[in-house]
Amino acid sequence: MTFLQIAGLSKSYNNETTVLKDISFNVKAGEFVSIIGPSGAGKSTLLRCINRMVSISDGEVVFDHAPITKLKKRALRQLRTDIGMVFQHYNLVPRLTVIENVLHGRLGYKSTLQGVLGRFTEEEKEHAFFLLRKLGIEEHAYKRCDQLSGGQQQRVGIARALIQNPKLILCDEPIASLDPNASKIIMDHLKSITTELEITCLINLHQVEVAQQYSDRIIGLNQGEVVFDGPNYKLTEEKINHIYGTQMRELITV
Amino acid sequence: METIVKSTYIKRKKNGSISLRAGNKSKFVIRMTMITLFVLTIAGFLLFDYTGLEIRTAVVETASNLYAMFFKPALNHFTWAEALYQIGVTMGLAVLSTIIGAVIAFFLALTAAANLSKEWVTKVVRVIVAFIRAVPTVLWVLIFAIAAGLGSEAAVLGMLFHSIAYLVKAFSEAFEEVDKGILEALRAAGSGWWHVVIHGIIPSTFTYLLSWTFLRFEINFSVAVAMGAAAGAGGIGFELFMASGFYFDLNEVGFITYAILLIAIILEVFSTQLKNRYFPSSVRN
Repeated sequence: MTFLQIAGLSKSYNNETTVLKDISFNVKAGEFVSIIGPSGAGKSTLLRCINRMVSISDGEVVFDHAPITKLKKRALRQLRTDIGMVFQHYNLVPRLTVIENVLHGRLGYKSTLQGVLGRFTEEEKEHAFFLLRKLGIEEHAYKRCDQLSGGQQQRVGIARALIQNPKLILCDEPIASLDPNASKIIMDHLKSITTELEITCLINLHQVEVAQQYSDRIIGLNQGEVVFDGPNYKLTEEKINHIYGTQMRELITV
Repeated sequence: METIVKSTYIKRKKNGSISLRAGNKSKFVIRMTMITLFVLTIAGFLLFDYTGLEIRTAVVETASNLYAMFFKPALNHFTWAEALYQIGVTMGLAVLSTIIGAVIAFFLALTAAANLSKEWVTKVVRVIVAFIRAVPTVLWVLIFAIAAGLGSEAAVLGMLFHSIAYLVKAFSEAFEEVDKGILEALRAAGSGWWHVVIHGIIPSTFTYLLSWTFLRFEINFSVAVAMGAAAGAGGIGFELFMASGFYFDLNEVGFITYAILLIAIILEVFSTQLKNRYFPSSVRN
């Protein structure tokens, strides 16, 4: 069952610099897909085209049977509530507490006034604590986010994405700023989101081996074009060289 | 043996040592500016009109005036209670113009911040605000005096006008400093514009907004003193004007100066305490 369909997607800035060229692929519901490729290949832009954080120049993106290319304000907000996003730099509000940051994930469901007054229901708060418990950071709920370590902050970021009740989670290099240990915790959590909650996960990665280890499927991007698309076991050394344009042994992996 | 590396990328000074600055142009401009200012200062002193000046008498007289002001402060024309009341009036002028100004400036600053508003709106607001700021507060007060008449109304309006312009610039720059990742994360979760402002912008910039408002309050307090005299707005400034220009009572001028200084120090201590206690910029663990 096709859940996310991308057809002929192109993105260029000022009609000059082309970032994405004619990208097409489909993602099935509950799939865990990694996107790998060198810096500047357009990975981040590709993710942001899916929740329309950047506008689409050409092509069609169909999310859950609805085309999203031309959505206007209100419909766009509604689309974004269905898509959670996790960032490399966590993007939490550092001066607010963990629980406040998690509840930001519910703002998409609120009217202007409800959101401005910070009216969150008891169920939403319960759910927030439940997620924090699941992620193992419940005891930090009332701490300010700038007191947490990187790995803990990223878990807050994941909780914020999950409380949206999303159908899809986009992760923009979620472990690029973390140490190997914290990276493993984060990747395990992301993996369990797909296996337990059956939420589709689209994740940008720099680490080829992490991508191979965790994902069902890998998409290789180079200079805005899909140069590899297949299950993880088909990603041979030759293909990796093709994606990165170098020899494998010249790359620092892990 | 000479081991100087020949490289096209290394910039060297005249004596051969390696330069650490990227370009020499800005350094040159700064140096020329300093030299020009220095020469102008010297020339200025040489060109003054010194006729009728007796340095000795001038110095002695000034010293005795200062002595009378600052070492023998006294109240002659009004009582302590009255002095306190007048200080209260001046504070009132400052508080009113700062608080109302800060509230209006907050909303205008949202439209003036490039990351929250459309480009043309930002530009229009900035140009208007820059124009208002370029005209001194006293002039605004006098302009408003045409409509409101000389007095506290004109003073508050004029100070308010200038405060808004000043705070819009300060606030909007604080807003633009907010990590754009925070805004992106909120928008990606489906938040509307007001949600981003309330939950992302305000918590991230609150301490800055507060300290800018306090800074403006201090400025407004001293402007309010001046307005008391210049625009007849009343308060301690008016008493200062009377003491110096009407009664020629230097002791009283000294007293009032001390009173103003004391208030300024209290305000400063109060604002620092408030900020450190309730709005720390970072929490140490």
